Amino acid sequence: MGVKPLTPRIRRRRLNSDSKWGLLMVTPYIIHFIVFVLGSLLASLYFSFSHYDILNAPQWAGLANYKKLFQEPVFWKAMWNTVYFTILFVPLQTVLALILATALNQRLRGLKFFRLAHFVPVISSWTVILYVSDAIFNPRFGMANSFLLKIGLEPQKWLQDERLVIPLLVMIAVWKGIGYIMVIFLAGLQNVPSDVYEAAEIDGAGVFRKFMHITVPLISGTTFLVLILSTISTFQAFEQIYVMTGGALDASSAGGPNKSSLVLMIFLYQEGFTFLRMGYASAIAWVLFVILFILTALQVTLQKKWVHYE
Amino acid sequence: MKLNRFRKSVGYAVIIFSSLIMILPFLTTLFNSLKTYAQYTAFPPKWIPRPIQWSNYLEVWKLGAFEQYTINSVIVTVLSVCGALISCSMVAFAFARLRFPFKNTLFMIVLGTMMIPPVVLIIPQFVIFKSLYMLDTLTPLWIIEWLAQPFGIFLMRQAFLMIPKDYEESAKLDGCNPFQIYWKIFLPMCKPTFATLAVFTFMTKWNEILSPAIFLTSKENFTLPIGILSMAGQWSGNEQYMVAAALMSLIPILLVFLFAEKYFVQGTNSSGIK
Repeated sequence: MGVKPLTPRIRRRRLNSDSKWGLLMVTPYIIHFIVFVLGSLLASLYFSFSHYDILNAPQWAGLANYKKLFQEPVFWKAMWNTVYFTILFVPLQTVLALILATALNQRLRGLKFFRLAHFVPVISSWTVILYVSDAIFNPRFGMANSFLLKIGLEPQKWLQDERLVIPLLVMIAVWKGIGYIMVIFLAGLQNVPSDVYEAAEIDGAGVFRKFMHITVPLISGTTFLVLILSTISTFQAFEQIYVMTGGALDASSAGGPNKSSLVLMIFLYQEGFTFLRMGYASAIAWVLFVILFILTALQVTLQKKWVHYE
Repeated sequence: MKLNRFRKSVGYAVIIFSSLIMILPFLTTLFNSLKTYAQYTAFPPKWIPRPIQWSNYLEVWKLGAFEQYTINSVIVTVLSVCGALISCSMVAFAFARLRFPFKNTLFMIVLGTMMIPPVVLIIPQFVIFKSLYMLDTLTPLWIIEWLAQPFGIFLMRQAFLMIPKDYEESAKLDGCNPFQIYWKIFLPMCKPTFATLAVFTFMTKWNEILSPAIFLTSKENFTLPIGILSMAGQWSGNEQYMVAAALMSLIPILLVFLFAEKYFVQGTNSSGIK
């Protein structure tokens, strides 16, 4: 028997022990991935091609769910509502948050207080926000109607008005989320070297030109990220609409008057968990998934056109 | 110089105006929670409550349901925070410091799954918890946090990568195994990142509505955000109690924010950075 060299054996032993510990320590994520991601994705895909009411085993149905979905006017209405919400919300919040962050970035005093003020809505649950916005937009005794009457305008039904509900929900969502986006922008702005501004100032650039020609291009990486993240999360918006249009009391009523604020997630929730049409709801989920995938891919492609990295 | 001062005043004007828009509705709500029903529903509304009805806050506790919802929320939040801290840091340590088969593939998977919208996973999750007889219990709300969510893994891994190699090498010479190195050396060195993850998990779980709305059916199991809404029937004609209840549910998270503002901001930025 030949004597094996000592070092490789020791190294192999250590590697094995490392591997053993490594695999042991990532076990929680492996379980997570197998059960709650991979398994769930496959199951969801399978459900979307079957009739499934939770109580009985799923029945293979081919494309039936998808066919029904695309012929359903409510689905198209939910789709439009979702798109409408996103189109109003994402640009509005991004622009306003950027303006606020720019204002805050001038080494103002009281930064901590301002940040706190803008974070109170961020850390509030939608239930809290419901009562806060009710103080203003209650159709019977809210501040907003009192104000409208004072300046000689008609009182409004606000969230119960088919035309107003989405713009109003968007406004409230911007109000709630702006502090969060503002802080992300603030971090981006603090990475912009100040000598760029100084150079521009020597060249005689005004506030507006500096903003448009320096700030906006130099933080376009952050802007891009904010746009992607908020588009994706807005497409999956559920909590606000569920809470503010009465879903918590009666899930079938969520979505506002005449389904005017019924977004895809509320539609999915009602079909799946109120009517127990799990297969159908899974089909909605996959349509949403495909849309989100396309959106992300589109944004990544467009990114190359307008994001300037240093 | 002059221009600079002008710019600063514009900055202050913008930010003070915006802060007022943020705070005034909350102040109005606070005043609403201290009104009698007659004052609460008066039109045109009076801003300042008269008389100041402090008892509204006591009434909220009298039904007992609010107390139950608070307990449920505390259980879910505390168990979630513990779970996220333990599981994410452990997995992150392995990714940052150990060599094991399929490590890179697995880490790509972690990053990839961050992009999967939760929507597609909800229904199978419901089916899984149903087959485990966990529906209508608090378990689904926190147990998932014990399985290392990608955001937490990513956050903790970044922190562990910053620690110099010397520490673990000397520990190895002293005969520590990887778990001991993780537990005794890396964990104590990463307290700020821990705080960030804890604060973020706390906020998410304390405010969460979708999962409780899906997994819970009995009122006594509700957490605060949906529990308060479910009390509407019991309090019709006394809606000012609901306002008081909602504001009370805000207190814990507000306190966490006041004490850990720095970590909120860190978490916000790292979730923006990917």
